[in-house]
Amino acid sequence: METVIQTHGLTKRFGDLTAVDHIDLSVMKGEIFGFLGPNGAGKTTAMRMLSTLSKPTEGTATVGGYDIVTQAEQVRKIIGMVAEKLILYPRLSGVENLEFFGRLYGMKGDILNSRVDELLRMVRLERFKDMPVGGYSSGMRQRLNIVRGVIHDPEIVFMDEPTVLLDPQSTSFVRDLIRDLNEEGKTIVLTTHIMDEADRLSDTIGIIDHGKIIAVDSPRSLREKHHCEALEDVFLELTGRALRDSATPIVPMRRVVGRS
Amino acid sequence: MTNSLKEDLRITVRIAHKDLLDFWKAKMLVVTFTIMPLVWMAMFGFMYPQTGSSNPYSGKISTPYRNIPIALVDEDCGRLALQVASQFKEIASSTGLFSVRDFSNFDSAREKIVSGDVKGVVVIPAGFSEALTSNRSATINVVVDDANPQLASLTYQEAIMVLRMISDGIRRATITRLSNTVDPLFISDPVSVERKPLIGTTNTFQFLAPGFMALVLINGALAGLAATVTREKEQGTMDGILIAPISRTSIVIGKVIAQTVRGTMQALMILVISMVFFGVRIYGSPTLMLLVMFLGVASFSGVGVIATSMAQEQETAMMLMMMLNIPMTFLSGIVVPMEQMPDWLQTIGKTLPLYYAADGLRKVIALGADFAMISWDVAILSMYALVTLSLAIPIFRRVMSR
Repeated sequence: METVIQTHGLTKRFGDLTAVDHIDLSVMKGEIFGFLGPNGAGKTTAMRMLSTLSKPTEGTATVGGYDIVTQAEQVRKIIGMVAEKLILYPRLSGVENLEFFGRLYGMKGDILNSRVDELLRMVRLERFKDMPVGGYSSGMRQRLNIVRGVIHDPEIVFMDEPTVLLDPQSTSFVRDLIRDLNEEGKTIVLTTHIMDEADRLSDTIGIIDHGKIIAVDSPRSLREKHHCEALEDVFLELTGRALRDSATPIVPMRRVVGRS
Repeated sequence: MTNSLKEDLRITVRIAHKDLLDFWKAKMLVVTFTIMPLVWMAMFGFMYPQTGSSNPYSGKISTPYRNIPIALVDEDCGRLALQVASQFKEIASSTGLFSVRDFSNFDSAREKIVSGDVKGVVVIPAGFSEALTSNRSATINVVVDDANPQLASLTYQEAIMVLRMISDGIRRATITRLSNTVDPLFISDPVSVERKPLIGTTNTFQFLAPGFMALVLINGALAGLAATVTREKEQGTMDGILIAPISRTSIVIGKVIAQTVRGTMQALMILVISMVFFGVRIYGSPTLMLLVMFLGVASFSGVGVIATSMAQEQETAMMLMMMLNIPMTFLSGIVVPMEQMPDWLQTIGKTLPLYYAADGLRKVIALGADFAMISWDVAILSMYALVTLSLAIPIFRRVMSR
């Protein structure tokens, strides 16, 4: 299989803090790569570097065969991003949002119009296309946000927690959408804190902690290797139970109750 | 034109169009944007009402502050004192300068100054009539409310002007009494002075309107840029733009163009209001005026981009903009004439682009200046635009890829 994302010692430092620490990673063409890690582990920073939004402090990476620093413009042409924060203008309508982002990729005229119609149909928003996005429900906004990220039909899509805060119906719809996009041949790099989602969707899982990659394998192999039934248990075994964004290590409540 | 440049221009226009569309859809913002120039001009219209020039020699007195309350104390009560008091009241009433109240003694009038009921006292002291009838010079005392220096100075000057007119009348009557063969006007005022306007009519708004236009242009550009860049960073949409295969220059210029259009619209609103309600006329070329307006925005946009790129959130960006805007407004000679400031402050003021934008607009609008006459303003504004934008683009690029 062809490698579409390759990193060598990719590192990002913010002053004294090393957010991403010499990671070596390969993502195969056409796969869904689940990128997991506790809060602050370095997932988003790594994704931002791979999507050319942030420059690495050290190391190299190629996306679609292009260097993320020296060939950033070529990388940008073949990637799409669905960030955790919605990349949508709330005052503009669904159509206006899609048209604006489409035009940034050189799309225009009938090609742009038919692509916008196609995507709105895909996420069942045709009826609401002229309504300001600020008036959409969370699920509608996220559906629009996903198709906005693929308006230009990119080869590789980075998705940062695409189902966060969605109801079960919307979550299920978004997961099907991710599968559909993958079936179209797109490589998807997906970060999520929902282990079940990562397990169901990903072909390969990469776990990052303290900026370092600590495991890369298929979900099944990870479960088997660690003798766990659920991916969540593998994740907790590898990354521990201590809270990451707390000033002092906090003993989980379950244990305290158990002891008393 | 190369394809790449064409594409950059196309993207620049798209970004500017999106920013303006996004602005247009914020109805409350559009209402505020439209009302602001109206409020400004109405406010300053009352603060600086239109007035002609006073000329005590020709008997023409005009004032921006009508009916200032003033006390009149006649301690003499002689025939000439009564005549002077009556003339003072008549001139004050016909010119609308003062609203005169009579008091029997200085102490009761003084109390009214302290309580704020009157702004000054004109005292005709005892012996006034007697001095004049004995062909001796007589004195009238003027006391003003020094707690408000600006109004005190104005009250004093205007009281002096009225009293000088009365004094002139007395002088001419005396000359006529002493000799029938000479023209009393020739003896009293052999040279009279009349102020003539440089162009058209003298109007305070011809000075104020271009200054406000420049202020709105630059403030609008700075505040607008601060809001748009930081809001896009905060809401995440900037990532959507930055991840697209487009040049960073297009992003910056697109945003600057959107703010230029907004600023120009607001400045034009000020101009229209000034023309319709306050009699301002454009004596120069409207095209030249638009050029100065465009350069005015472009001159400081780079600074706006640098400051807002570095600010992490909207609040910091707005504070930074206020920190730049407030001193610039006062140092650029828009509200306070630059000549009133000490030399070192004038030097600082003359390094700011707002000074040159206001100066250029004033010369074109109020004085009908042609391009050659404002070439220095145009050169400084262009230099500012070039230097700040060429610094802003790499800084924006670097900060956005941290």
